[in-house]
Amino acid sequence: MEIVVCIKPVPEPETRLRAAPDGRILDPEGVKYVLTGYDESAVEQALLLKESVPGSKVRAVSFGPSPRAEETLRAAVALGCDSATWIDSGAEPSPDPVDVARALAGTLRSLPHDLVLCGKQAGDDEAGLVAGALGELLGVPDFGYVVDLRWDAARSVFTFHRMTETLQESWEAPGPLVIGLQQAWNDPRTAKLPAILKSRKAPIDKVPVPAPDAHASRSRATTFALPPPRAGAKLIEYKTPEEAAERLVKVLREEAKVFP
Amino acid sequence: MSGAVLVVGELREGRLVPSVTEAVGAARAISGPGTPIVGFVAGPSTDAATKEFGRLGVPDVRTASDPRFDRAPVSALAAFVAQAAGDAGADLVLVPGTTFGRDLVGRLGIRWNAAAVTGVTEVQRADGAWQVRRPIFGGRATETRRLDGARAVVGLRPHAYAPPPDAPVDVRSTAVAPREPPANLWVPKRVAEEPVASGSGPSLTDASIVVSGGRGLRAPENFHLVDELAASLGAAVGASRAVTDAGWRPSSLQVGQTGKAVSPQLYLAVGISGAIQHIVGMVSSRVIVAINSDATAPIFKVADYGVVGDLFQIVPALTAEIRRVRSA
Repeated sequence: MEIVVCIKPVPEPETRLRAAPDGRILDPEGVKYVLTGYDESAVEQALLLKESVPGSKVRAVSFGPSPRAEETLRAAVALGCDSATWIDSGAEPSPDPVDVARALAGTLRSLPHDLVLCGKQAGDDEAGLVAGALGELLGVPDFGYVVDLRWDAARSVFTFHRMTETLQESWEAPGPLVIGLQQAWNDPRTAKLPAILKSRKAPIDKVPVPAPDAHASRSRATTFALPPPRAGAKLIEYKTPEEAAERLVKVLREEAKVFP
Repeated sequence: MSGAVLVVGELREGRLVPSVTEAVGAARAISGPGTPIVGFVAGPSTDAATKEFGRLGVPDVRTASDPRFDRAPVSALAAFVAQAAGDAGADLVLVPGTTFGRDLVGRLGIRWNAAAVTGVTEVQRADGAWQVRRPIFGGRATETRRLDGARAVVGLRPHAYAPPPDAPVDVRSTAVAPREPPANLWVPKRVAEEPVASGSGPSLTDASIVVSGGRGLRAPENFHLVDELAASLGAAVGASRAVTDAGWRPSSLQVGQTGKAVSPQLYLAVGISGAIQHIVGMVSSRVIVAINSDATAPIFKVADYGVVGDLFQIVPALTAEIRRVRSA
């Protein structure tokens, strides 16, 4: 089985956020880009499948500028991915995720794939657009919010679960499919030191980013802003629990106007 | 702006989900008085939902009534939404902030050749284009994006816009008939479903009030204090990771980075210290209240109102007070 996992270099979660000098996007200066939550779960899912289906191969694909995309791909190789493809995005630091899906689709058309995995959204922009756009571009079904995907060899279908607001759904479908995975449902492995050292020399196939479709509608970031610092809670003063309750309900009704 | 606004419906047990009602409210709030607002709904039966659109003042509903839509993958549905948007002469499609909606937006963006964004809290017309604001980095920052091109698909964040008041109109429904989507998009099968554990109230992401409990409750047998407070408010019950990791409550109730992100009108944190992992899941709530015995707990930095004290005394008193006020 040929499995492709699409990963995005994302600022590590502890990053101190501030706007770039042009005020448009996060200032990338000094930021360390890593594999994060959703994508870690996607890579782990790819490796679990590979281990359960003999003869499978996993290719990691990433879109992004140097060096962060290569570094993220090397991290995926250190975890156990067999090969890596880097779509060199050049200078654009904050593309429309739908354009990223277009670039991924262009690359995937020339790579064998029975299954395409990605995080259901990225940890930074939280857009969650890539799986759906990629599915439409490749002409295959896609599903987001997926956990625990397996291959049923006897019936040649993938089985997986999906959480909605009120239901846990169980699905089955033959490949090829695009799947957006939830985070934190599997326990992503960590790379061992020898594998990390070896991954530094792993070959990375570099492909150029396709010329953007000039006629496509797209979104672009115009402002990156931090919320004003919170003033901190207004504390309710009270002598008895009953008084605390009464005063809290009163401010919620009269001041915050959230309580009917 | 000249085109119509299409609002994508979603059915649950034959009725429109609350996020769709909010999307109608958003359509009203952002468009001029002359702009047609058109509904779309797909399902085995769309009559009840069509009437609901009419009650909200939407006179024109495009429908795809087909038993296949009971268990259809979203992938197959995008062609119907795109056709409806084209038929209605829309230049903006508003999609509810649900799992269904989140899965639809990217595919529809390609299908309908439109700019596509999700998780939007504010939509504006500026300099001849749609402009949206959306929280990113778990609510630690916001970005503004400009949607270039003639068409836009905007996925809304739950509770970003209020439902509109009822304004009943006569409603006309028209069937949508796109070129049949490729057969492989219909092949995936939903073979089973079971309800997600959610307490007795509304689901976490739908609810306009959420009450969450944390480690401060000390033991699973005390969690009923949170359940009762939530019941008095008609709120959904949530929990911190400490609580779900300890198995006091199912993981489907976890609010936070590795659980659900919620943005209700009112969020009450009971006995939750406020680890960053929890904060990113609830910081976008409109009003945050914290009840905690430790005055230095980080939750008080993000809360709007706080009660420092023994939750075992405060919470029952609060539940009683809310019941009293509500029955008055």
